[in-house]
Amino acid sequence: MVARASTVAVVGLEPVPVVVEAHVGAGLPGFSVIGSSGPAAGQAVHRVRTALRAVGVTLASRKFLVSLAPADVPKVGARFDLAMASAILAEEGAIPGDALARCVLLGELSLDGAVRPVTGVLPAASSLAGSDRRLLVAEENVAEAALVEDLEVVPVSALAELVHLLRGDQLPRPVSTPVGTSLGVGSPDLGDVRGQAEARRALEIAAAGGHHLLLLGPPGCGKSMLAHRLPSILPPLSRAEALELAAVRSVAGLLSDPCGLDHRPPLRAPHHSMSAAALLGGGSGVARPGELSLAHRGCLFLDELFEWPRHLLESLREPLEEGLVRVARSRATVTYPALVQVVAAANPCPCGGGDRCSCSDDAIWAYRSRLSGPLADRFDLAPNVSRLSASSLLAGGEGEPSVAVAARVIAAREMAAERWGTTNREARPFALRAVTRPAALRTLADAVEAGELTGRGFDRALRVARTCADLEGSELVEPHHAFEALAHRMQLRACAAPTAVEVAG
Amino acid sequence: MSWAARLGGDPGLALRVVRLAATPEVTPELVRRCIAARLDAAEATDAEAVVSALEEALCRRGRLADRAVTDRVGRSLDSANATMFVVGQSGYPVRLANAWPELGAPPWIFVRRARRAGLRDAPSVAVVGTRQPTWDGRRTAVRLGRLLASRGVVVVSGMARGIDQAAHLGALEAGGPTVGVLGTGFGVDYPYGDGALRERVAASGGLVTELLPGVGPKPRHFPWRNRILSGLADLTVVVEARERSGALQTARLAAAQGRDVLAVPGSLNQPTARGPLDLIRDGAQPLTRLDDVLEALGLDPAQPCQALESPEPPGLDAPAGAILRLLGPVPTSPGDLAATLNRPISEILSAAAELTTRGLAQSTPRGLIATA
Repeated sequence: MVARASTVAVVGLEPVPVVVEAHVGAGLPGFSVIGSSGPAAGQAVHRVRTALRAVGVTLASRKFLVSLAPADVPKVGARFDLAMASAILAEEGAIPGDALARCVLLGELSLDGAVRPVTGVLPAASSLAGSDRRLLVAEENVAEAALVEDLEVVPVSALAELVHLLRGDQLPRPVSTPVGTSLGVGSPDLGDVRGQAEARRALEIAAAGGHHLLLLGPPGCGKSMLAHRLPSILPPLSRAEALELAAVRSVAGLLSDPCGLDHRPPLRAPHHSMSAAALLGGGSGVARPGELSLAHRGCLFLDELFEWPRHLLESLREPLEEGLVRVARSRATVTYPALVQVVAAANPCPCGGGDRCSCSDDAIWAYRSRLSGPLADRFDLAPNVSRLSASSLLAGGEGEPSVAVAARVIAAREMAAERWGTTNREARPFALRAVTRPAALRTLADAVEAGELTGRGFDRALRVARTCADLEGSELVEPHHAFEALAHRMQLRACAAPTAVEVAG
Repeated sequence: MSWAARLGGDPGLALRVVRLAATPEVTPELVRRCIAARLDAAEATDAEAVVSALEEALCRRGRLADRAVTDRVGRSLDSANATMFVVGQSGYPVRLANAWPELGAPPWIFVRRARRAGLRDAPSVAVVGTRQPTWDGRRTAVRLGRLLASRGVVVVSGMARGIDQAAHLGALEAGGPTVGVLGTGFGVDYPYGDGALRERVAASGGLVTELLPGVGPKPRHFPWRNRILSGLADLTVVVEARERSGALQTARLAAAQGRDVLAVPGSLNQPTARGPLDLIRDGAQPLTRLDDVLEALGLDPAQPCQALESPEPPGLDAPAGAILRLLGPVPTSPGDLAATLNRPISEILSAAAELTTRGLAQSTPRGLIATA
């Protein structure tokens, strides 16, 4: 006889149904696990064997064989413990064999038989939505699994409880589905920022159009402060978007205690000393998501941009272009989503900037041109953030609060979404030209002629101009929108440091 | 030693001079001390006397370069197409001879020009300044170079990045002669990567150095270079200079050589205006309009003086015009403009870009400056 239990492996974000088969037979006493289970299988044997003893099943003096199928799916972690134990319990007759037919089990076992939470429950649960099967998970994973609608989730706190449940001795405990979201709670507000008119405007445009933003300013002027407030003026994520992000967090093990689906756009601020694997995703066997994917549908904040090693910035190019990142490791190549808006911050000049800065213009252009290769083309807005003077620190009231800015941002995003279904950042050049007044195109063409703008910069400036127009509620891009877009790019001309010959008389 | 004939002047003398030049002991300091100790004023401008005195001084020490070294140096000068001019001989610049010897002008200079021609004997002006100028300073240097060259004035400068090159470029643009004085020997790519500009200057007015071919830039070379620079010019204009800069040293050397010094005044808040302002305090003539430099040379400024305030260009909207009136050579940030004018930042930004595209303003890393 062979008993079967169902579980789900997660490769990247991809759920793969796995059947656990248990067989007890004659032969030399032992417990073997087969089916590409990796080095972790040996540990699972010890956990399962000891946990079963806690419910009175001893595996002495017989041959136990557990197979995880399909064998060619990479299986990592302790998530199959519960299913393995259940299959053995059914094989031993401790629970009726058909009781397992409608169950999908996910959980790690502790030595005393308690069920512990695992990662990647959300993608597994999503794959079961709408089916007639119920998902049995540890108490701690219930809230996560309950994010999926149309799925029966059963909490199991110990192996003994599982036995009672499946024998029908006990009814499943009810699960309260968490509702509501925690929008804006605890996230910093733009009202805290005083002055900085240029940077605030750039932040608003970046939020409305999804454009990448580079903040330039001396240390302590509030670059990070501004960057951390970008999520507060972004529109909340839709349910589908929030679930995508939650799935990434689940796989990364960062969704331990969700109080409902988090609709806030994320902001991740990785440090420049991190490895490429930590940024893009990595790890042995099957890659786990990196910071880039954890910032999916939100912002990736690169502080001290000039300190970042070139190879890391280079490695961001392709994912930023494609909106996803592919990571190949020995056992699988996985794809994680990576639709992010980059917010970077950098000192404006080699000495760090500030009032005593005496760097020459040439030195500053040369410093900034270090960025030219990998990322400069990707930024659309580069405001100067200045240090506030002592008098303005004392005078002047609060800045405009996030709520007011967010209202304009949402209105502008709706205009863009109505027009082409995406943000302006992803708008196609041809479609853009159709909603631009010829005079505005002429303005940008003049800038190209004057050497202020490159060919690639033309379309990018046009997108920003479109966002300026959306913020104003204007159907067509007018010349003054184009001019404003150009103004936001002025600090980006780093690669083309002016030479004396260009100086007009 | 066929190269000796091609170096110019008397081949016998040329051979002896190259032998002196090839001797590592011969530094400007040694030459000055030696001449001061051994020769009187009349003898000091006689090539034969100067060379003999130096030979004598070095022979006593037993350090004079041997025949093989002399030959190698001579051939390297020849292959660099250099012409040599010795003090007191024809072709040695008159102005440099006037600075000789108490201020230590070099007893010989090497010149590289197209077809081995000598330096032009026209009025000349040295335009010097910092290697790290502001946009505005660079503009001033370009315009000075252009104006001077268009009037046939030789623009002398030091080939350094920044103000020096801007002055050379301005002169070249106007098709006029410009002379570059080097702090290295010929055949050294310094400033690195500016070989094309050096060639243009060589073809225009010529390159001048007292160092041997292949001698690289050393910090002590530049004060030496500066005394030739100021010595070659009738007057020196300092465009922008920080405190303790080489340009200030050139200005002081020029003053010591009895030449006029003009300084371009700048803002108190601009670190690059420190030098010129200090010079003006110490008695240099402020350059209040470009034509001042022509007047100082005794030339008639044929064109009327340019008005200090340019009329407002037509067709500007209200915010753009208001911004333009606020802009000057010191960068102003859009945020400050918005606060001053009490207008929304978006309006200020688009007006600023409009001004930039029309060439009325320039965006610098620190903010906007006026270019009109």
